[in-house]
Amino acid sequence: MLKYIIPTMMLMPLTWLSKNNMIWINSTLHSLLISLTSLLLMNQFNDNSLNFSLVFFSDSLSTPLLILTMWLLPLMLMASQHHLSKENLTRKKLFISMLILLQLFLIMTFTAAELIFFYILFEATLVPTLIIITRWGNQTERLNAGLYFLFYTLTGSLPLLVALMHVQNTVGSLNFLILQYWVQPMPNSWSNIFMWLACMMAFMVKMPLYGLHLWLPKAHVEAPIAGSMVLAAILLKLGGYGMLRITLILNPVTDFMAYPFIMLSLWGMIVTSSICLRQTDLKSLIAYSSVSHMALVIVAILIQTPWSYMGATALMIAHGLTSSMLFCLANSNYERIHSRTMILARGLQTLLPLMATWWLLASLTNLALPPTINLIGELFVVMSTFSWSNITIILMGLNMVITALYSLYMLITTQRGKHTHHINSISPSFTRENALMSLHILPLLLLSLNPKIILGPLY
Amino acid sequence: MFRRALRLRLGPCLSGPGLGTYRGGSTVDWDGKVSKIKKIQSIFPGGAWSPLYDTSHLPPERSDVVIVGGGVLGLSVAYWLKRLEKQQGAIRVLVVERDHTYAQASTVLSVGGIRQQFSLPENVQLSLFSAEFLRNINEYLAVVDDPPLDLQFNPSGYLLLASEEGAAIMERNVKMQRQEGAKVCLMSPEQLQKKFPWINTEGVALASYGLENEGWFDPWCLLQGLRRKLQSMGVLFCQGEVTRFISSSSHMESASGEQVTLKRIHEVHVKMDHSQEFQPVECAIVVNAAGAWSGQIAELAGVGNGPPGTMQGTKLPVEPRKRYVYLWHCPQGPGLEAPLVADPSGAYFRREGLGNNYLGSCSPTEVSSVGSGCRRRDGERVSLRSQASWEGPTRVLMSQSPLALNWGLFPPSPCPPRGPTKEMGDVWICPCVLDISPIPTSPYQEEEPDPGNLEVDYDFFQEKVWPRLAQRVPAFETLKVRSAWAGYYDYNTFDQNGVVGPHPLVINMYFATGFSGHGLQQAPAVGRAVAEMVLEGHFQTINLSPFLFGRFYFGEKTQEHCIL
Repeated sequence: MLKYIIPTMMLMPLTWLSKNNMIWINSTLHSLLISLTSLLLMNQFNDNSLNFSLVFFSDSLSTPLLILTMWLLPLMLMASQHHLSKENLTRKKLFISMLILLQLFLIMTFTAAELIFFYILFEATLVPTLIIITRWGNQTERLNAGLYFLFYTLTGSLPLLVALMHVQNTVGSLNFLILQYWVQPMPNSWSNIFMWLACMMAFMVKMPLYGLHLWLPKAHVEAPIAGSMVLAAILLKLGGYGMLRITLILNPVTDFMAYPFIMLSLWGMIVTSSICLRQTDLKSLIAYSSVSHMALVIVAILIQTPWSYMGATALMIAHGLTSSMLFCLANSNYERIHSRTMILARGLQTLLPLMATWWLLASLTNLALPPTINLIGELFVVMSTFSWSNITIILMGLNMVITALYSLYMLITTQRGKHTHHINSISPSFTRENALMSLHILPLLLLSLNPKIILGPLY
Repeated sequence: MFRRALRLRLGPCLSGPGLGTYRGGSTVDWDGKVSKIKKIQSIFPGGAWSPLYDTSHLPPERSDVVIVGGGVLGLSVAYWLKRLEKQQGAIRVLVVERDHTYAQASTVLSVGGIRQQFSLPENVQLSLFSAEFLRNINEYLAVVDDPPLDLQFNPSGYLLLASEEGAAIMERNVKMQRQEGAKVCLMSPEQLQKKFPWINTEGVALASYGLENEGWFDPWCLLQGLRRKLQSMGVLFCQGEVTRFISSSSHMESASGEQVTLKRIHEVHVKMDHSQEFQPVECAIVVNAAGAWSGQIAELAGVGNGPPGTMQGTKLPVEPRKRYVYLWHCPQGPGLEAPLVADPSGAYFRREGLGNNYLGSCSPTEVSSVGSGCRRRDGERVSLRSQASWEGPTRVLMSQSPLALNWGLFPPSPCPPRGPTKEMGDVWICPCVLDISPIPTSPYQEEEPDPGNLEVDYDFFQEKVWPRLAQRVPAFETLKVRSAWAGYYDYNTFDQNGVVGPHPLVINMYFATGFSGHGLQQAPAVGRAVAEMVLEGHFQTINLSPFLFGRFYFGEKTQEHCIL
């Protein structure tokens, strides 16, 4: 693991010591190289896991997430270049350092073998994210957004610390490799119910679960583009990853404890999709779409069947790339028009046709068009929930219809129709923006050729 | 962004040392230096700093549309923007108004008339829609739990009088107006005498009388109704003055190969009253509805910075012109059926209230340039006395002039009627004179009152207005001026018609100004047109392309001839 951690740490002195006109080039290029090395993790020897040491390990669940994390850093750097160009040098370097720090924590989180280590890093990722949102966000509401983000996540995860301490005391170790073999089924009692809640709530807030999702639209909308990208693509998946890991020790209480959360997620998935239909703010629409997709992941993880686990992991990777791409597209709009309102920037297809292609591809993957991995994930989840309970197919079907509706609504409003007068003179797409979009969509399309690598440990 | 965060944290102590400076490296002299450091000073008890600085009086940091000017045109644009947006809450609109007392705003100082008797079909359509809006105002501007609006619309109509040479034009215009749907009728002098016995029909060949949808109303009520409705629709109001536009330019090549520089406004700096504090508002669209001061706002945005004769160098030709309105009492005057009468000489009056009070005035003769100062031989109605529809009465400012009013200072005997007298510069008051030669020398400054203040000149009434009124309505030979006030026209020196629509080079600035006296009556329709332009990209209901900015560069005048 050091072969990933040390280069990432070294990106920091690289940023601070580079020449002024080379900071972006150096950091982007080197982070791209590091992300290519992460592909080595794909070489898993067996079905269990690739153990680097007692502290770090990676298996086929954390590998795709790790590759996504490392792939996203150069993309975030590319996306932030424009809005940071007016800041002074120290601010730029600080911003890049925050991103690198966040990357470092995320790499270690996804490969942590010890659950307390995971918890510490899980909390540590909040700090650079908070700094990015409140310091470089665009509007006064970002302070409020930062507060919501911080306190929702903290309050959810403090009980997790207590629960982990308890497990350490009873089982003796929290090392994941050992825990797999030493865990005993939890008997059904009130304290175990609270223990289950304590373990799960942190990740539920992070996902987010429908009732606890209030921080997400605020944080996503107020964050600068890099913040939105990392929030949507990775930080939400931290919750999913955590849930997938922690359910190991929570059996069989999950069988009945999961019901209220499954109901909440099924309902929330439809409600948040419907809210998307009525959104006027583009970023807000994409944020609510994230909540909707993640609700599917929560349902999949909680019903605990092999196919649902496969669907959940596939959906996490697919949604990470799609959501990040949509935020980048919304940002390219915002940088030209300086407004996030959808109706003020319409008919862009005639002016920026290549960008319209990216919009089309992003919207199509968002609505889970076959044969993309988005569809594979959703399909697995739909199938497994159907076999869990037949009625859920109605809700899932309804959700897919509404998802298609708002994705196409977003596409048509921004791209089609007569363009408004004042966008006559927007600058054409930069090569950087086109590169950014293609680097998002290319992995997405290539993965549809070989989706088994993202289907997780139960494939 | 850093500056904004800095302002958020440091609050009013902006001029202090910046956050990044390190005051005094040594710890030797504690007492003096410590208390001077602003940050420490502010956290002492009683200090004025709070980390989350109260910015409730400042406008928001960003808004989608910023409307400069909170008069009836600005509020109308805001209303239609919110009304025509496809989903509720889609667009964030901010209205910036410098003076919330509206002390100098043209809207409230206006005579308040509305008519359809124009010579441009677009003007007729605009007024027709506005009349329909005003008639149904309680459906348009309804707010839950608030009382309905009473505009005090007096549908008494307008009576435009024409002399011999203007008669043919008037007939043509009335035909066009009737085609557009206005209810106007033509009257011969005999019919006129029978209907309005108090008129002296000498010199009048034809008259056009508006039968429906014409009259006058209370502009203050319209303004308040619009404000109330806008607040309920979620439009933000802010009191402040726009001092700066931050914009970015991009050089592009047009289809024919010439270089153009396009500008885009990114931020509007709004300065607070009596303070140095300002707030940069990031915006996507700016609407210039600043009325008489639109020219200054346009200059701030860079309209007209360029070599003259190019599109870049074409300024917005709107400037403030002062017009007086006089209120007098005449016991034998015309009765309740009196419409707003406009004499061919340019003087006009209307009834005010039920106590034999009348409002009226006359615009000064326009002699600014040879071209526009001519009267044409073919009898074209002269636009010398410009744009009268200076209407507006409800707010009465008492003047300090010693000559002033105050009943009792006027001699009880009627003044001798004044017939046509020679004016300065050989301009005859009586319109019967076919004077084709260009008006010589007299500088227009002697005619135009100084727009620097709103002081009223009573001599103007004595010399210009009264004689003409007395000639037209003999009963007005005995009258007492009660009071008077002055207000500004947002006068379009090019062709006295409004400027509507986007600027070709400053991409996101839209105009809704320059109506030179008939802005109030067309405000609802113009607001809708600008909102359509912003939201859809083209005019949908009424085609106002003759009113676009480009005509100043191309020299195509959209002249309105029926100026009251």
